[in-house]
Amino acid sequence: MEGTSLSASFGNMYTQLLTYLLVSLGYIGIFKKCGVKKRWAFVPIAREYQISLCADKEKEGRIYTVIYVFIYLITAVMKLLEGYSTEAVLFLFIPLVGLFVTMVIYSIKIHLGLIKVFNRKKRWIWMFIFFESLTILIWGYSKKFVPSKTVENLSDAKSAKGLERDMAAIDNGLTVNIRERTVIDFFRKKTLLKDVHMQIPKGHMVLLLGGSGAGKTTYLNALTGYEKADASIMLDKADVYKEYSKMKYNIGFVPQQDLMRGTDTVELTLSDAALLRLPTSMSIMERENRIAAVLDLFGLMAVKSSLVDKLSGGQRKRLSIALEFITDPDLFILDEPDSGLDGVVARKLFEKLRGIADEGKIVVVITHTPDRVIDLFDDVIVLAKDATRTGRLAYYGSVKESYEFFGKDSMEDILLSINQKDEGGEGRADEFVEKYAESMKEKVG
Amino acid sequence: MENYEVKHRGRVAQTFIYLGKLFRMFLFQNDWKVLPMSAVIAGLVAFAVGGNLYKTMEGTLMGTFAMSCICIWNGFFNSIQMICRERAIVKREHRAGLHISSYVASHMIYQAILCVLQVVITLMVCSVMGVTIPERSLFTPLSIVDIGITLFLITYCADMLALLVSSFARTTTTAMTIMPFLLIVQLLFSGAFFNLPNEAMPLTNLTATKWGLTALCAQGDYNSLPMVSIWNSALKLKNVEVEGEKPLLEAFRYIEDNNQRDELLMLSAQQNQNPAYAFDPSIVIKCWIWLIAWTMVYVIAAVILLEFIDKDKR
Repeated sequence: MEGTSLSASFGNMYTQLLTYLLVSLGYIGIFKKCGVKKRWAFVPIAREYQISLCADKEKEGRIYTVIYVFIYLITAVMKLLEGYSTEAVLFLFIPLVGLFVTMVIYSIKIHLGLIKVFNRKKRWIWMFIFFESLTILIWGYSKKFVPSKTVENLSDAKSAKGLERDMAAIDNGLTVNIRERTVIDFFRKKTLLKDVHMQIPKGHMVLLLGGSGAGKTTYLNALTGYEKADASIMLDKADVYKEYSKMKYNIGFVPQQDLMRGTDTVELTLSDAALLRLPTSMSIMERENRIAAVLDLFGLMAVKSSLVDKLSGGQRKRLSIALEFITDPDLFILDEPDSGLDGVVARKLFEKLRGIADEGKIVVVITHTPDRVIDLFDDVIVLAKDATRTGRLAYYGSVKESYEFFGKDSMEDILLSINQKDEGGEGRADEFVEKYAESMKEKVG
Repeated sequence: MENYEVKHRGRVAQTFIYLGKLFRMFLFQNDWKVLPMSAVIAGLVAFAVGGNLYKTMEGTLMGTFAMSCICIWNGFFNSIQMICRERAIVKREHRAGLHISSYVASHMIYQAILCVLQVVITLMVCSVMGVTIPERSLFTPLSIVDIGITLFLITYCADMLALLVSSFARTTTTAMTIMPFLLIVQLLFSGAFFNLPNEAMPLTNLTATKWGLTALCAQGDYNSLPMVSIWNSALKLKNVEVEGEKPLLEAFRYIEDNNQRDELLMLSAQQNQNPAYAFDPSIVIKCWIWLIAWTMVYVIAAVILLEFIDKDKR
């Protein structure tokens, strides 16, 4: 009996090995077609991630890869414990079943992605489920199976040349010197933002323009010190990073969503924000006066006793802004404050922001419909993805000069010119990044 | 702002700011509904299993298990959605200077008050429904207060476990999906109601039900109660005939006629006493310490997890 069991076990092992090799051989063909390095086809775990890239399912591929890591680990531990502890092996079997089911689901998702990329009918999924090795071999080596897009290889891409030097800090305004903002993303270093240098004087209202993934939010988070970069951010003479715990009260950041408790009243919401953000040295009378002034400024006096849930879209947005404005910050940042608002309401809101800037504050605003309010802005920051998909500064300066710089007559056209070709743009980001850097080098010396 | 260098409100002041918010939400966001819900659940349990609680060993075991389940249920429902439903708001406020420890502390105070109210309601409902309360007490002059403390500690422990789930679950759907799993673990590993293999017994130390049930049994002097299950099972055999006669029926009649039934029930109980349920203050104190310890573990874990709220994807 033991001999039969042993030979069955070896038979099973040989079948698994053969299946693995056949799939790997098939992957070589698919990887070649999709522009992925062929050597990954034989590396366990790595090949699972690479096939998800071919299928344009990177997000699912990460989970798929992690699942495989755990499956391999648990299987190895089970093999080691075999013969020592039956209970432990049985206990490990429970998560293994769960992982296996998840792996099958993700495998289906990735194969469906592959079918879409190769422009084939969805019924191919049954072939992948029941005859995986054979199907992968056919797809890998038959000339009839051609992917509609290949995996973008950024390792050979060259980054556009930038200013690559810090600017001197100004006494009365914001000086930004972001050298690099990187993150570790799935075991790889990824540069989100690079070489962004500017000086924004006080009293300026600045538009932040950039396509999807150009690094707008990364820039704002680096600017406010919320997500620190390799950078130096000076607000007047104060270093935002070094004095973050104090400076955060002098920087207002209004998020895109109106993040407030709907079941609280307007006045109490503002009052709690004031208690949280205003200094303890401020008297009750001063605080109450400040709350009343802000309610009045944002036209919320009439609804101060209403629940937040009962407010209109415009009123909610104004309250969201008021929460940050309660501290009267020198730097005021707003992420799409006009989202969900109609043209007239949005215009009135931007006029309020213009008023705040005119009081000597710096107001930075992201908006996806800039042209309807562009006359209210002084400057524009244009961020763009370069060839390495890193967020870069393509322009910072006055709105008027920006039209001349890009050779366009609207902000939307400027955005179109810097967007990548696969996003429907002109793909001229690198050209403008280098052009702007050259012009700055001439100015800075 | 010229004076931004000056001090801002610290942890204690922030705790009270958020406590105020929570009480307003109690009124406006219908969080008060957990109170009538606890009355309904207590009423149902008292009706179903309250009859023999603190009267017989079996009734006490079943009844205290059910009482622990009420507490776990109440605690879970109090706070399972409390943090995850406003996660994005907490993230914004953390950015604006909120201390996570203050935020969790405010929840702890608010939930403690809610749990006390639920325990009071549960005990009131049980009294109205005629559930027996032990005559002797271990710590306070009133045994109902002793029982109330145990019920509070079980509810609060479950409440803080749910708060922990709410602090790492990104959405209310996730939190509500995790909750039944935790509920099953709490019920299955109570260590008394279900027979578990010896290997699984250490796992019972993880559950609030085990410590709650043990404390409630000890407070009810479980070992002094009669055991009726053997008598009831034997009674089912009364009509068994042996050579045309019913000897068991005759034996039962004899026992009843000589008033020996209670004596037999107590004899049966003596064979099934459990030292873990002895009427001993040290046992109850040990259970309370375990419940408080787990509560603290859940709170600390919740604070640590929420400190990473800034890492949430945008």
